[in-house]
Amino acid sequence: MSRSPAKKGVATSARADEHAPVGHDKEEGGAPLAIVAKVKNAIRLVALDEVAERAGLVRGQALADARAMIPSLITADEDPIAVAALLDEIADWAERYTPLVAYDGAAGLMLDITGSAHLFGGEEALVGDLVARLTAQGFLARAAIADTPGGASAAARFAETHVVPRGGNAAMLAPLPMAALRIDPETVSALDRVGLKRIGQILGAPRAPLAARFGIGLMRKLDQALGTDEEAIDPRRETPAFIAERRFAEPIDREEDVATTLASLAATLAQSLETHGEGARRLEFALFRVDGVVVRITVGAGRPIRAPKLILALFREKFAALGDELDAGFGFDMARLSVTASASADPVQIDLTGEAAASADVDGLIDRIGARLGPESVSRIVPHESHIPERAESLVPASEAGVVVGTASDAGGLLTRPLRLFARPEPVEAIAEVPDGPPVHFRWRRALYRVTRAEGPERIAAEWWRNDGFTRDYFRIEDSAGHRFWLFRQGLYGRETVAPRWYLHGVFA
Amino acid sequence: MRASVFMAGGGFARLRRRIAEIEANSRAQILADSPNAAEPESLFSSSRDIRLSRAPPTLAPRRGAATLPFAIPRLDHMLAGGLRRAALHEVRSDESRDAGVAIGFAAAILSRLADDDDRPILWIVEAAAAHEAGALYGTGLIRFGLDPARLIMVGVDRAKDALWVFEEGLGCRGLAAVLTEIRGEPRLLDLTASRRLALRAAEHGVMGLLVRQSHHPEPGAATTRWLVAPQPAAASDDTPAAIGHPAWRLTLERNRRGATGVFDVEWNHDQRCFITRPAAGEVAAHPRPVAAHSPDRSSAPSGAGKIVALRPKLRDEPLPREERRRHLRSRG
Repeated sequence: MSRSPAKKGVATSARADEHAPVGHDKEEGGAPLAIVAKVKNAIRLVALDEVAERAGLVRGQALADARAMIPSLITADEDPIAVAALLDEIADWAERYTPLVAYDGAAGLMLDITGSAHLFGGEEALVGDLVARLTAQGFLARAAIADTPGGASAAARFAETHVVPRGGNAAMLAPLPMAALRIDPETVSALDRVGLKRIGQILGAPRAPLAARFGIGLMRKLDQALGTDEEAIDPRRETPAFIAERRFAEPIDREEDVATTLASLAATLAQSLETHGEGARRLEFALFRVDGVVVRITVGAGRPIRAPKLILALFREKFAALGDELDAGFGFDMARLSVTASASADPVQIDLTGEAAASADVDGLIDRIGARLGPESVSRIVPHESHIPERAESLVPASEAGVVVGTASDAGGLLTRPLRLFARPEPVEAIAEVPDGPPVHFRWRRALYRVTRAEGPERIAAEWWRNDGFTRDYFRIEDSAGHRFWLFRQGLYGRETVAPRWYLHGVFA
Repeated sequence: MRASVFMAGGGFARLRRRIAEIEANSRAQILADSPNAAEPESLFSSSRDIRLSRAPPTLAPRRGAATLPFAIPRLDHMLAGGLRRAALHEVRSDESRDAGVAIGFAAAILSRLADDDDRPILWIVEAAAAHEAGALYGTGLIRFGLDPARLIMVGVDRAKDALWVFEEGLGCRGLAAVLTEIRGEPRLLDLTASRRLALRAAEHGVMGLLVRQSHHPEPGAATTRWLVAPQPAAASDDTPAAIGHPAWRLTLERNRRGATGVFDVEWNHDQRCFITRPAAGEVAAHPRPVAAHSPDRSSAPSGAGKIVALRPKLRDEPLPREERRRHLRSRG
């Protein structure tokens, strides 16, 4: 995190409610609720709601003790996966304030709001809006803004101030307990033993003895909280290079409105892309629903694009594929279009005959199909260095394959490879005259084929460095009706197997 | 006016192609003449730099004529010159085991099409079709005469998606042809849908090939419909015991421009041309050599050609003496 004076952090920290099992109805004045888990061979309370806290229960208390104090205590097992998923959803939602959202501990989020506070009418208004919206969703949340992530984290969890004034970190930290520095509990208790309970006590103290006794980590955390040392936050998502967003006073839910918004965002984005000489390779359109759900739609382009018309065409396919899955709920109150991958798009000379447009046409088609059916559905055949027929080539998504080198020099010659290959060789019952010879007749899919001519064997050994499979003897055979098949016998008699099996691997023209 | 613009366009395309060829040659020359050419590493890097810094000029892709002849006179006559490029054609196989033959015929058509058309080919396969009859195998396709590098493969799960991609592809002028392989008779592909596809192909000049693994011929708007069935291949020229060029019985079931008929053809993948086979009945006396050739000695008996049992009488040969005398006597 750079030391730009405007850079601040917001930490939200929620308590018991966030640990509540998903779907738990919160009742006002009901029985106390505690979340329990097995810690150090005993079932202990790991999270409490307000009622339980008021009743005098504390975190880390053994469940048996808590039950003795309050027999009516309702307990639920901790579900770390559900908690993580819930925090993920909240983080998604929090992206409405800034695209830079990072995790901060098990139940906190760190938002880098540099340059975005003015969109919400100032820092006070932003914190107020954030807490109000989270409270409306049933969370108990605390938030604070400070110059540094460390300061914001301490203020949100331990201080009463919501917005720490610029340069006021030291004053804010001084009365707070040592735990606010995000140091490990052992250091906290070690400091406690020598009577250092408040951060203020070490603020002006000589650094060298403290570092020598409690480790360099303590001083670093202190410096980070004060802002004399750098601290970077680690956003959950890659920071997009280009962003265009729009907030609505009144939520929108009609498809046409979404399309219009997208069009205007794409036009905004096109301008900034053009200024930087870049084109978008991957775009993400995020729709923030009023109730906190975020819908994300991603499209990819085979070549860098910036024309709003092309961007719209890709999203149109995606929307068509989504169909009714796109649920507007009570409407969207914010939309953001971001470029998650870009590439330089230099202006190209146009062809005098206008034929170059034709190839651009094909790229556009590949992108449209990719947007509708998934980018992996459009592919190119790429050859590989392998003698094993099924490994000799693979399908690579067209957007990644680039230009496939033609292998036209192999054209002609004997037709030793089939036109169609079964992904999985199909077992057949074959009868051969001699053990090493071609089959005389065989049964495939319950039909009997009488072999009239056979070419082979072409022996293809297994790749020794893989150590799988047997040697295969391939035969190209023709039956009495003129069907041409590619059969193989798996395994060498005596050496690899006693009863080799026959398979049909391909069909010739 | 319009025609002249087109002429100019064609002229430009030719000119640019020529310039590109000259440029490519000169660049190769520069590379060969460069003093670093002796060091392989620097040559590699320099050649790469050149390739990166200067993309080859975009060329106008070639497009072929309006029809694609089979080079089989009877067939081309029936089709009024050949297979129409800007049209929808249907290739059908009765059974799944014949699907290889149907794809072979379609690939043969595309191979001939690719001869004078540089644009890529969109190849759409429904998952069910590939699962039932095998997926397209590029290595086999190269030998067969069609370069898989020219194909853009699209795999779809449902017939609905296949038809959507088919229609999108037929509307793309940058493509030479669109092939779609589907299994069975999807209800979506009715006469209306088929007509839409045919109109789109005609409008944008893209050949549409609909390959169906279907036992029932369905009414459709395709210009031609072919039923392809396998036939025993002829003997190979080099090794008589080997399986020769693929042979098929083509039944032209539907032809909007003329009569229908049955043709027995072979596909010569070396020459990339169709060969007519003698129809059933008019089989040659000895379709294949009676005895196998021996690789290390002549197949003919020793001294063959010296003893001639029935020597034909030639006009210019001098007559034997008695004969000549008889001749003279009769004249005299």
